[in-house]
Amino acid sequence: MSRPTPWRESLIRATSGICAASALFFLFAVLAVMFVFAWPSIIFNGWHFLWGVPWSIGNLYGGNFVVHNGIEAPQGAEYGMLVFLVGTVLTSLIALVVAVPVSLGVAVFLTEVAPARLAAAVGVLVELLSGVPSVVFGLWGVEVVAPLVGHGLGIFLTRTLGFIPFFAGPVGTGVGLLSAGLVLAVMIIPIIAAISRDILARVPRDMKEQGLALGVTRWELVRTIVLPYARSGIIGAVVLGLGRAMGETMAVLMVSGSAINILPHNVYSPVGTMAANIVALLDSAMTDSTGMAVHALAELALALFMITLIVNLLVPVVTSGVNIIAGTVPGAGGEKH
Amino acid sequence: MNGKTSAGRRMKNHLLTVLVVVAALACLVPLVDIVWIVAAKGLAAMSWSLLTTVTSGVAGGLANAISGTILLVVLALVFAAPLGIIGGLFLSEFASTRVAWFLRQGIDILNGVPSIVLGYFGYVTMVEWLGWGFSLLAGAITLTMVMLPYIMRAAEIAMTRVPRGWREASLALGATHSTTAFRIVLRGALPGTLTGLIIAVGRAMGETAPLIYTAGWSNYMPTASLTHSPVGYLTYVVWTFIEEPFASAHALAYAAALILMLMVLAFNVGGRLLLKRRAL
Amino acid sequence: MRKPKAWKLLTGLAVAGVLAVSLAGCGTSSSTGPSSGGQVSLLETGSTLLYPLFNIWVPDYTAKNTNIHITTQGTGSGTGISQATNGSAQIGASDAYMNDAFLQKTPGMLNIPMAISAQQINYNVPGLNDVHLKLNGPALAKIYSQTTYWDDPAIATLNPGMKLPHKVIVPVHRSDGSGDTFIFTQYLTFSTPSWKAGPNAGLNISWPAVQGGVGANGNPGMVQALQQNQYSIAYVGISWLDQTNAAKLGEAQLQNYDGNFVLPTPDTIQAAANALYKTTPQDERISLVFASGANSYPIINYEYAIINQKQANADTATAVKNFLTWALSPTGGGSTTYLDKVHFQPLPPSIVTLSQNQINKIGS
Repeated sequence: MSRPTPWRESLIRATSGICAASALFFLFAVLAVMFVFAWPSIIFNGWHFLWGVPWSIGNLYGGNFVVHNGIEAPQGAEYGMLVFLVGTVLTSLIALVVAVPVSLGVAVFLTEVAPARLAAAVGVLVELLSGVPSVVFGLWGVEVVAPLVGHGLGIFLTRTLGFIPFFAGPVGTGVGLLSAGLVLAVMIIPIIAAISRDILARVPRDMKEQGLALGVTRWELVRTIVLPYARSGIIGAVVLGLGRAMGETMAVLMVSGSAINILPHNVYSPVGTMAANIVALLDSAMTDSTGMAVHALAELALALFMITLIVNLLVPVVTSGVNIIAGTVPGAGGEKH
Repeated sequence: MNGKTSAGRRMKNHLLTVLVVVAALACLVPLVDIVWIVAAKGLAAMSWSLLTTVTSGVAGGLANAISGTILLVVLALVFAAPLGIIGGLFLSEFASTRVAWFLRQGIDILNGVPSIVLGYFGYVTMVEWLGWGFSLLAGAITLTMVMLPYIMRAAEIAMTRVPRGWREASLALGATHSTTAFRIVLRGALPGTLTGLIIAVGRAMGETAPLIYTAGWSNYMPTASLTHSPVGYLTYVVWTFIEEPFASAHALAYAAALILMLMVLAFNVGGRLLLKRRAL
Repeated sequence: MRKPKAWKLLTGLAVAGVLAVSLAGCGTSSSTGPSSGGQVSLLETGSTLLYPLFNIWVPDYTAKNTNIHITTQGTGSGTGISQATNGSAQIGASDAYMNDAFLQKTPGMLNIPMAISAQQINYNVPGLNDVHLKLNGPALAKIYSQTTYWDDPAIATLNPGMKLPHKVIVPVHRSDGSGDTFIFTQYLTFSTPSWKAGPNAGLNISWPAVQGGVGANGNPGMVQALQQNQYSIAYVGISWLDQTNAAKLGEAQLQNYDGNFVLPTPDTIQAAANALYKTTPQDERISLVFASGANSYPIINYEYAIINQKQANADTATAVKNFLTWALSPTGGGSTTYLDKVHFQPLPPSIVTLSQNQINKIGS
């Protein structure tokens, strides 16, 4: 076997580095274009964009134009993203709260509980869920989930958790925050579950055998050895799922109630999310000849970027917190302090 | 050693086994429900002619949409799979911790970008600025951006979990880092990487918004040209035909959804079978 | 030495890709670009209200004119205007005419009415769905501005003797930008000064915050929202009349400019169109909402084809002109065999002439 030359080694490293960097290339390209598009809106709306509630394209068919900070816009144009920010954060939160335990449960089921054939079949079905078009999720949400929430789950929650103001009625029509969160949860479960399953399957057998030799039950094995070992990978899977939840458009659009100019007052209220509204408002934005409406949507997209960035930066903080709570250190065999 | 565990621990064990099974059911029930709805309404419209005729107005077939979806996803995979897998290798084997962290942030943020934004970006840059018009290439590159995070991250996660001992043995035998990476780590991480590919393909097949602005739509079979020729795709049929007041359109929409899900299933099962046959 | 599986997988993908692309090329007659070898490809995009009509026009037209390929898309009026303006599409479909500012920026855009559409106000009130409740602009404006009960005086005075329930009204609006929103809000704007000073009209407006109000996606979404929510009210395009009737939803009588209450029927729609065709300007940009006339229905509109006067080349221009001429003609696309399927009304003859004049301006 001929000795590989050093430059071949460097070439391979460089090429693979370029491949990895392609994600950054795409990201920066999108960011740059969005920033250029958003700039006029940033100047026109200023800080008000971050906490304003009203979102108005202005009067296109009769009003005059106004100039603010040197930028032209239709009369009455006013842009504030607070409603959409709250919607995005709350729907994603509900989606995570529901999806993470279920996904972990599924992953543990597939690796620790189910016999091999069943696990393979169920695994395929779970992955199949990731192939359902988001439009179909939206249709299912409107036809099944919203009535379920409006006539069943919502009423149940007002009776059991009603002492918490956010969970008190009225339940309304069923389309709203809770339905959107549930539909999102079902959409991200396959992502988190499939990747977590692969991670759990890779836990070294000798680690598990050590535990079993000590006489632990299956659950104690999972809790003290398997999960801590897999923790960082599972968190990676959760972040991927969260990304999908925050960026989901079509399904949320159909089942969220599309709130505008109004903040949700309980968990059943209609909400609007940033991503869904970019889709909903893009078409009418194109009739604004000043372009301000499109610029505002670009700024909304930019804001979503920032939020995703902040959430991702918080992940190590959350991970350490989880480690501290669980009292174990990952990868160290799950020894308890 | 006492072989009996205390009653409390045994009960906890049983309880949590039940919980885990419930979780699996909670996941499967929506799936079955959705498949039921789609199949019930979609099967009514299915016929062999659906696969051979093109959409015509609010009726016709799905041949153009099916070929378009296949072309778009295959082309996107041709771009995204190497980038994702080899990039994942870089992240797990060659990158320093700081560089890896930076790249990982980038990937996760790209994943969080709404697909409509990617679509509009594609429209502004490829369809307009580069002058490609609604085209296969613009649509495929946009789908690449959607798929890349899943492939790269899943690959990386799988690769970092390949036991250290394997790498050490390979290096001890005189292999270079890169040889170790490609021959040992990549092989060992194939199941996890395949999961990433399956999820990515599932996601890409189900996207509508980005393709509306880049691939456009066409009532006709795709041509061989990568640019200046719009392409049809199944999700367009689902999204738009549902909106029409004609029953024939609705039937077509559900049939398209059904075919989409069957294609994802085929890719999934096919991929896993391929992997198993060339077992490690 | 065996190559790693990964390479085989990737090579397989690449081969599949090449095969797929070349197989695609073996498809039916090629249509590479706007004009090649006598074959012309046109793209129509825009209004989801016009989309069903284009979808029954195009197959018949292209069957008789095999050298033209027309692709139809339902993307939204705004997209239709935008892409017709920048040339991505040859025919833009819109429920709303272009506003003055936009036209100033891009002169040379033609707004050509092709048919007349209308809108119903549907509601779902148990027991009252077959009664045709009477409503007017101010009442609707109130419903969409603040929490209102079905037995509110604004509604009760219009329906004396009717037993209205004391239930909160659920107003449903369109979450996606839409020509339906445009004409509905125009009705409110023209009839109610407080609405005119407030949200005014547009493809998408800043809906006032009403507790419990929801947004629905598309006309089917509106119908579904009505079906699923008792005491709801929504505005729905006339093409969905069959669906709302089948769902046994209530249809309101609306008060027109003259003060009478009418339902959207071919007669009342034609009456409104006839009231306004004399005042239609040459560029045909006019709202038909709230027309005068004893029998006029207040919410109707022209459905527009937005065309750039200057097309890419002579062949494309000719193709567009021929298609639009056919679509306009009472023996072609303008005949009731097509229009009835979507409950549209044909244009009055004088408007057909105006539209044809605009079509003749299309060149390259």
